[in-house]
Amino acid sequence: MSFRDRLERITGDTRGARPDTEVRPGIGELRKRIEEIMSRRGGAAHAQRPEVLRPRTTLEEAVGGEEVENSQGRFFSVQSVFGPSARHGHALIGELAELDGELAALLAAENSICGCSSGDALFIDTETTGLAGGTGTFPFLVGLGWFEGGAFVVRQLFASDFSEERAMLVHLEELATSRRFLISFNGKAFDMNLIGSRFILNRLEDRVTCMPHLDLLFPSRRLLGHRLVDARLATIERDVLGVRRTDDVPGNEIPSRYLAWLKRRDGACVSDVFAHNRLDVVSMASLLKHLSGLLASAHTQLRLCEGDVLAAGRLLRDRGLTREAMTLFTRAADSADRCVRREARVSLSLIHKRSGRWAEAARIWEALLDEDPLDVFAACELAKYLEHRVRDHRRAMGVISRVIHAGGEMKPHVRRDLEHRLKRLQEKAHAASQDDDREPDMLQGHSGP
Amino acid sequence: MAALKLEEWLARFATDGRYRGNATSVKLIPAQEGAFAPYPEWVHPDLRAVLQRRGIDKLYSHQAHALELVRQGRDVVIVTPTASGKTLCYNLPVLQRILERPQTRALYLFPTKALANDQMHEVHGLIADLGCDIKTFTYDGDTPDDARQAIRRQGHVVVTNPDMLHAGILPHHTKWQKLFSNLAFVVVDELHVYRGVFGSHLTNVFRRLGRICRFYGSSPVFICCSATVANPKEHAENLLEREVELIDKSGAPRASKTFILYNPPVVNRELGIRQSALAPARAMATDLIENRIQTIVFATSRLNVEVLTKYLKDSFRERVPKGLGMVAGYRGGYLPNLRRQIEQGLRERSILGVVSTNALELGIDIGELEACIMAGYPGSIASTWQQAGRAGRRTGHSLAVLIARSNPMDQFVVEHPDFFFTRSPEHCRVNPDNLLILLHHVKSAAFELPFEDGERFGREDLVEILSYLEEKGVLHRVEGRWHWSAESYPADEVSLRTVNPENVVVVDTTETGNHRVIAEVDWDSAFTTVHDEAIYMVESRQYHVDKLDLDRKKAYVHEVDVDYYTDAMTYTNVRVLDEFGTMTRERVIVEHGEVQVVRKVVGYKKIKFYTGENVGYGDVNLPQKEMHTTSYWFTIPWHHLDTLGLGREEVIDGLAGLAYCLHHIAAMLVMADIRDLDRCIGDKSGQWFVRYGDDLRRITMAPEASVKVMENAFDPTVFIFDAYPGGIGFSELLFSKHDLMLSSAASLIGSCPCEHGCPMCVGPVLEVGPRAKDASLMILGLVGRP
Repeated sequence: MSFRDRLERITGDTRGARPDTEVRPGIGELRKRIEEIMSRRGGAAHAQRPEVLRPRTTLEEAVGGEEVENSQGRFFSVQSVFGPSARHGHALIGELAELDGELAALLAAENSICGCSSGDALFIDTETTGLAGGTGTFPFLVGLGWFEGGAFVVRQLFASDFSEERAMLVHLEELATSRRFLISFNGKAFDMNLIGSRFILNRLEDRVTCMPHLDLLFPSRRLLGHRLVDARLATIERDVLGVRRTDDVPGNEIPSRYLAWLKRRDGACVSDVFAHNRLDVVSMASLLKHLSGLLASAHTQLRLCEGDVLAAGRLLRDRGLTREAMTLFTRAADSADRCVRREARVSLSLIHKRSGRWAEAARIWEALLDEDPLDVFAACELAKYLEHRVRDHRRAMGVISRVIHAGGEMKPHVRRDLEHRLKRLQEKAHAASQDDDREPDMLQGHSGP
Repeated sequence: MAALKLEEWLARFATDGRYRGNATSVKLIPAQEGAFAPYPEWVHPDLRAVLQRRGIDKLYSHQAHALELVRQGRDVVIVTPTASGKTLCYNLPVLQRILERPQTRALYLFPTKALANDQMHEVHGLIADLGCDIKTFTYDGDTPDDARQAIRRQGHVVVTNPDMLHAGILPHHTKWQKLFSNLAFVVVDELHVYRGVFGSHLTNVFRRLGRICRFYGSSPVFICCSATVANPKEHAENLLEREVELIDKSGAPRASKTFILYNPPVVNRELGIRQSALAPARAMATDLIENRIQTIVFATSRLNVEVLTKYLKDSFRERVPKGLGMVAGYRGGYLPNLRRQIEQGLRERSILGVVSTNALELGIDIGELEACIMAGYPGSIASTWQQAGRAGRRTGHSLAVLIARSNPMDQFVVEHPDFFFTRSPEHCRVNPDNLLILLHHVKSAAFELPFEDGERFGREDLVEILSYLEEKGVLHRVEGRWHWSAESYPADEVSLRTVNPENVVVVDTTETGNHRVIAEVDWDSAFTTVHDEAIYMVESRQYHVDKLDLDRKKAYVHEVDVDYYTDAMTYTNVRVLDEFGTMTRERVIVEHGEVQVVRKVVGYKKIKFYTGENVGYGDVNLPQKEMHTTSYWFTIPWHHLDTLGLGREEVIDGLAGLAYCLHHIAAMLVMADIRDLDRCIGDKSGQWFVRYGDDLRRITMAPEASVKVMENAFDPTVFIFDAYPGGIGFSELLFSKHDLMLSSAASLIGSCPCEHGCPMCVGPVLEVGPRAKDASLMILGLVGRP
């Protein structure tokens, strides 16, 4: 029995008809199980039986572009230019090009980006044959973007077959190393790992994955995460950047499009993958602008979501830019949103406190208590201030006492905490009064100043 | 009364009325002196000092020999008994090389996590004493994500298991560039475990490892350790597909041991039934443990472990206050925490008796056990010596007792002590080019590195396999290379150990609102142990299975206290798919080839504790399981069988008895474990088969049609098939030994002193019927050759 027959027997594939074998439910079962397993991630099983419903289009016809050749072979490249007056969602391309290196460095927490300008940035986004990772994952499309004289250029490197990968990687490296930093969305975890792996597999020196890298996913989460259902680029695009896509290919179908292309060589298989990738790249540029804008929002009159501004303030504060953070907190403190307003004022008060501007901090705490007598944080801070700075135990006790008796809902441990504080203050006040020979009866709180 | 020492206990044993006369052999294995050698001069002085501080002044001869060969860059397999210092044979060269060249990397492979953890502690200890910056880590499914990157970059020694290597490391080899570029050693411990399907998978994993090492330019030395088997060198060379040096003369001194072969007495002469092996096991174990002699009892199945644990705990509950904790059960399926607790208890001697399946055959350090009782022959000579070796690891006289059960293999072994003590242990066999296995690994390998024209992988025609995969759309060929072109992740699709890698979780619902997971059962065992209405035991506590939810892979149980346990009944059905070879004789056709085996759990028996009575039955409704494998079979047309003058039913009885006998003979002949083979009587088309019915008599039955239709429509066939998917290579061997097997069967059955049949020859009479013995001899007369 031939080898093929044995294989078919083992896997239950009865493509070749054998004379004395009829329908065997047992083998069918096994075959189904194997096919099921093999197509578990979707796509591959269907790719086996191509039904050509329409005449094939060449790649050039479907996506434009041309073949490129270099020392390592050839690959396919498609270039699109977005002029300065083109619109992408809420933004104008011309405006995107005003990249501020300092802001980008802050977003990335990467100092080396500080001195960079628009021409130094390279946006990158890959499309792959699988999302699970591993050495068998192939980046068939590398989308790159950069600013050139007010316009935004997107160049997409496409390996029309596995044999074109090497040339493509070399070209990528030339482009990347002629710039100073990379920008991606989830690239630190995904794209760079993959590309690094491909360089190793092709035995090429990798000078790409070590470059300074701004991964927009992290700052997006920090600044926008509070109001978005998730931090996917598609969500941000829709809810923040105002970009609307029509007939966009779903991400999980992208691998099977390429696999179909390999078999059918029909450009129509991959044209929407190119479109999807192109939009991803431009959206990253728009996102960068938006996030930078948030950090710099002290100086803009634009209507912005104050919650974003607040988050931006926190980021600046964490990076040590206290003065700038304060400006943003001040702005957010005027928000119509109560929560944002409060959080902003809390943050401001803490900055004042740390810098020794006690009176200003106290003013904020009092204002918070005015608005909400149950604001435990404000009460405690104010009380501490009164106790240690002003040394007015009576007033401190009054503050704590008022919160306790304000008659609101409070977690038991919070209540216990406040009661301890009050007790301690009472003891201190009592001791002080004994020293000072003052009236002993001070258990009732006085009203505040 | 003061506790007896082991030697005193043994002296008393000789005159003890309960045991006297049943021991077929009491053999004293004398102590062995050590053979020593000095440290080689190339050993780093710090390393030598550390070892000497641990009491290792000089090396055993076999250790020195191993070190020398490894230093020369030769692959070795070390086959010396437990506690002979095998781990030094790999730890020393590895640490030495890292001290010489800090870039060096090593990979340690252990079959289980528990073993890996044990050995890791040992290496850690050495490194801590050395006081240098050598990093060892375990890398397995439990390793937290944030630790993984650090291990990949910095770990000098990475300790893992074959499953993790297969699914977690090789497919991500670019992340392990440092490891593979500098890989100097691969250590494979417990090599004998890698036989059958598991071993076939491992050979392929090594093939993939080889490709990857070549890619990164490294060429590691393999250091393997194995327990005693018949063909260690051959086995290692089969697994590694390289030349391997054998080191098997142990220089370690060995304390003396008493080995007793014990046959429980016959309790029913007519039916030929002997006392259950569990009874003397219980008596001896109780006795030893009472005298504070730490004892391990091995039982042949998880069920027997539970039953015996319960019996022992019952004994101690009565006799000793707080005696319950002195005895523990131990088996796979217990959660890791429980197992660690028990191991600790053994080391600390708070647990004096442990009942186990062969899980403890693997070298987990549990301290000095003095006695080992085997309730039933473990199925192979190798396993018997390994289990016996659990007693007396470090010092002092030890005891091993093998108690026979009522089946031909056990009986043969205890009644022929010379055979046992002089017999070489079993062969390890692998079949790495089993098509199903090979296919999966070719896919995995292609995912890791594209195949190039001209490459070889395995002994089959690689190009045909690659073309087949290309047609399936899984590979894509361009410019002489075959690339992975599917979305899936091949390592996910196959587990190295069982057909289905998933486990069923056992959930205790006794306390409402506080459901707890109390155990895990592997998929295959789940059908027979946690079917609806089963009694499932953990540490001899009983739980009733209320519902087995296969979809969610959960078994819901609640605690009960009943006086019975359950044992599942399975039927097996075989259908021929293809014949590879045929021998036609006058009245019988002998063949071997490929078959499809269907197994279905159909019911269960309720068996009372202590008396072993059958107190009821129940039905079970579970889906059937299918497997493709290879088989040897022979068919005897009815018209020949009809000439014997027996009724049809009696003929079937005779065939059943014959099959029972042949199954055991076959296992002994190919030197396999009895569970590596299985048997079935049916018809080549799979339309009908013999099934054990409710009243324990066999009835012929077709799955769909009624009995009377079938009786004329088939020719009875006896199948002896490989118990693994894809087959493991026994069938062809058995086919070639057909005549020898029949004549051995005739001789065994013919010379058996029982009246009508017994478990030693044709099987228990209650199962095979009162005429089985006669009938089988008549059938043999018909088809055997003198």
